[in-house]
Amino acid sequence: MEQKDSQKQNKPEKLRIGVFICHCGTNIAGSIDVERVVKCASTFPNVVVARDYTYLCSDAGQALIKEDIAKFKLNRVIVAACSPTLHELTFRKCVEDAGLNKYLVTVANIREQCSWVHAHQPEDATKKAVDLTRMAVARASLLEPLEVIRVPIRKSCLVIGGGVAGIQASLDLAEEGFDVYLVEKNPSIGGHMAQFDKTFPTMDCSMCILSPKMAAVAHNPKIHILANSEVREVSGYVGNFKVKITVKPRYVKDELCNGCGECTKSCPIEVPNEFDEKLGPRKAIYIPFPQAVPQVYTVDIDQCIECYKCVEVCGPRAIDFSQKPKEVEVEVGTIIVATGFDPFDPSGLEEYGYGVYDNVITGLEFERILSPTGPTGGKIIRPSDRKTPKRIAFIQCVGSRDEKTNPYCSRVCCMYATKQALLIKEKIPDANILVFYIDLRAFGKGFEEFYKRAQMEGVRYIRGKVAEVFEDPKSKNLILHAEDTLLGVSVESEVDLLVLSVGLTPNSGTKELCRTLNLSRGPDGFLKEAHPKLRPMDTLVDGIFLAGVAQGPKDIPDSVAQASGAAQKASILMSVGEAEIEATTAEINRNLCGRCLICISMCPFNALVYNEGTVEVLEALCKGCGACAAACPTKAIKMKNFTDKQIFAELREALVSLQSGV
Amino acid sequence: MEDKEDTVQALILEQKLLVKNYKLNLDKELCVSCQICSLACPKEAIKLEKQLKTHEGKAKKAKIDIDLVKCNFCGICDVLCPYGAIKVTVNGNHVLSVVEKESFPQLIRDIQVDSRKCPIDCVECENACPLNLIKVTHLTSNGKVVEDLNSLTTLEREWLKVKVDIEKERCPCCRICEFKCPKGVIHVRKTFYGKIHVNQEKCPEDCKDCLEICPITGALYLGTDNKVHVNELFCVYCGACKVVCPVNEALELKRTKILHTPIRSGAWNKALERLASPLEITKELKAKGSRKAMESVEKRLKYKGVVA
Repeated sequence: MEQKDSQKQNKPEKLRIGVFICHCGTNIAGSIDVERVVKCASTFPNVVVARDYTYLCSDAGQALIKEDIAKFKLNRVIVAACSPTLHELTFRKCVEDAGLNKYLVTVANIREQCSWVHAHQPEDATKKAVDLTRMAVARASLLEPLEVIRVPIRKSCLVIGGGVAGIQASLDLAEEGFDVYLVEKNPSIGGHMAQFDKTFPTMDCSMCILSPKMAAVAHNPKIHILANSEVREVSGYVGNFKVKITVKPRYVKDELCNGCGECTKSCPIEVPNEFDEKLGPRKAIYIPFPQAVPQVYTVDIDQCIECYKCVEVCGPRAIDFSQKPKEVEVEVGTIIVATGFDPFDPSGLEEYGYGVYDNVITGLEFERILSPTGPTGGKIIRPSDRKTPKRIAFIQCVGSRDEKTNPYCSRVCCMYATKQALLIKEKIPDANILVFYIDLRAFGKGFEEFYKRAQMEGVRYIRGKVAEVFEDPKSKNLILHAEDTLLGVSVESEVDLLVLSVGLTPNSGTKELCRTLNLSRGPDGFLKEAHPKLRPMDTLVDGIFLAGVAQGPKDIPDSVAQASGAAQKASILMSVGEAEIEATTAEINRNLCGRCLICISMCPFNALVYNEGTVEVLEALCKGCGACAAACPTKAIKMKNFTDKQIFAELREALVSLQSGV
Repeated sequence: MEDKEDTVQALILEQKLLVKNYKLNLDKELCVSCQICSLACPKEAIKLEKQLKTHEGKAKKAKIDIDLVKCNFCGICDVLCPYGAIKVTVNGNHVLSVVEKESFPQLIRDIQVDSRKCPIDCVECENACPLNLIKVTHLTSNGKVVEDLNSLTTLEREWLKVKVDIEKERCPCCRICEFKCPKGVIHVRKTFYGKIHVNQEKCPEDCKDCLEICPITGALYLGTDNKVHVNELFCVYCGACKVVCPVNEALELKRTKILHTPIRSGAWNKALERLASPLEITKELKAKGSRKAMESVEKRLKYKGVVA
């Protein structure tokens, strides 16, 4: 039946194929005899014209193709050039402009798969190029014109993660007039940036620059904050995502709570405050920090003893212990993932004694000690005896650039340690500060100057990794053993406080979220972008974009920049209002389908659904990968323009050359 | 940083924050392994584990363990322990924020001693106390402690003052001293009220586990039938016997009332519900409600009723 169809379509018009071969400067012509390929190509069946050109992707090259389409009334076009991932879209646009269906162009990859890999075998490369071209011609003869699918895009966006990246993306989108649903798993937005004291290298107060943005989010009617919530399920496709969000109970009604704080005063239970990295206490009913958004208190039900003192003192009667987890469903056009990071947990690295020795702390913990809003009010003290330390050491690359933990560079630790060293100098001018590093990476704007400033102020940088740390059991001081690789001597130093500059690791929920959103992760565990250079905010799923550290370690300016970029990407889709979906999708022949549903279990994109006795393809979700067609036992699934017939025709041509030994 | 230390003498839980230290100290010598704390703990952090008997075949106290992850140092166990075995401290000070913030009541240990009526030379109460909490001292007219009564002259003896010191925070109010006192000097009201009953059909013969474990001498006794009997007069309803009893339902214990300072607290309601029964808490709330209604009626009518 399939055969009949294609015959029917092909019969009325005779095939007229044009073959265009690109030199790509010397990239292709350097090892392939293009002229010979042209000569051979012109002898292939139904080929009306065969030509070569230096750069077919140039305007002049495209004009040539368009001209020939008109002149020779071509109805199939073969472009033998670079990989289709680079220029297939260019040539599709080109033939479309000339009035041809854009799916009637075929790209034969004679650069990446031929000239580059066989650069030193010009004869064989040329033969292979001829084969590849012939195969393309064979397949092109069987191609069918396809209609692109257009889907409308809802003008709303889901932003996952309320750190600085999520905040920036939400604000940008809201300003452009789109509805934004900002989901944050913690009770307040703000993320890690809210925990920092100062920011490098400008030394702005972190909260002072963040809180205006948080307030702007709170007051923007277009932004719907869903704090204390988690994304549970996402279905649908670009322009039409259905998102199920679980809102965890706060046991406080947000519409009634006025943030007066009387409940906290009455609460008898004190537990370690996560916001202060568990260095200071908070109550069982709490607000993580004074500038929190939304300004609503939360009952930590795991710690609450339910004495209901807070209920008694609450003026607006906002406290409601009967709250249950709530399920919210929103429909959005686009999604931005800004899930950020977790600081590396150094308790596994025994050589540094974190968790064993009192006076070994992490960089983020030290950040809270330095902060005026922290548990000590900004006074630097060490845990063992609460005295001011005079000798402080930093160890760099803890959980970064280390084969045992994470091989990547976390990009922020060199600078945050330098910033913390300068802050110590401000508060304890006679402090002796050592920084043990492998390489000091001061690559950003103003970083090198910042590093120089720290050196000028007397911070000592020692190039060498600390091998081991011991504690003097009496004084609780720490003895560090290291090698100074610049001087070639071993160093032993006693310090009062040791700060581990821990790196950044993907947020603990990343793996789960990947499953929900069908995203992929790189080997480092961070979310993978569509192209490392040209599409750093896109993912392979249409309509889902990345922002901030979720995609890889970044400092604040980079996170903000990427967030604005991702917002812009989402905004382009939503402004246009519709998206084109590739037409090369799966198609099911219902007469052949045995309803075994193997295809549904195979589909990695959830594009197949069983609906009232039939299997349906959700074309907007289908990526045309062919997994279902390969698995189908009754051959009921056809991949448009990758039919068995087309592929066999191509293969036959490849084998012909082997047989005849051409 | 969290820390847990378990020795023969004590179980110590510690939560060290940079600016605050929370510590829970359970004195294993004072602890009788009764049920009170483990029943009352709002986070269910306290567990009792039955122990095998000693080589001599004597019953052993259940092992008590507190889950460091669940414990949030609220101090409810400290407040409720009838034997004063648990102390919760913050930065070394014995501060109970549940009491301070009025989110949990304190036990009332109502012990009245009118030592003016005490006969000189009488140390009945001191000897009777099963927990050695009473100390009788004699003071001269100028307040000096007399070491040896025989060294005094008759005149001096006439002016002597008797002082009876009772370690209240460790006293479970068993009333033994009250009954032993020949002059009716001591008046004790029980803190825990209830009902205890030995199911004689189920109580195994020759088993004296409960008797061996009971910290209050005389609350349980071996009858002529070689079976354990209860003297409800002295029982403090702590439940230590029930913990070690090897037979289900051989010992029945029901707490009905606990004397406490007046409070409005959900945490207390829940604790009472677990220590006594939902019925008791209903009664308590109802009593509170009717007292309140009474008060408001009186206020409006400017009339003083009989109940008040």
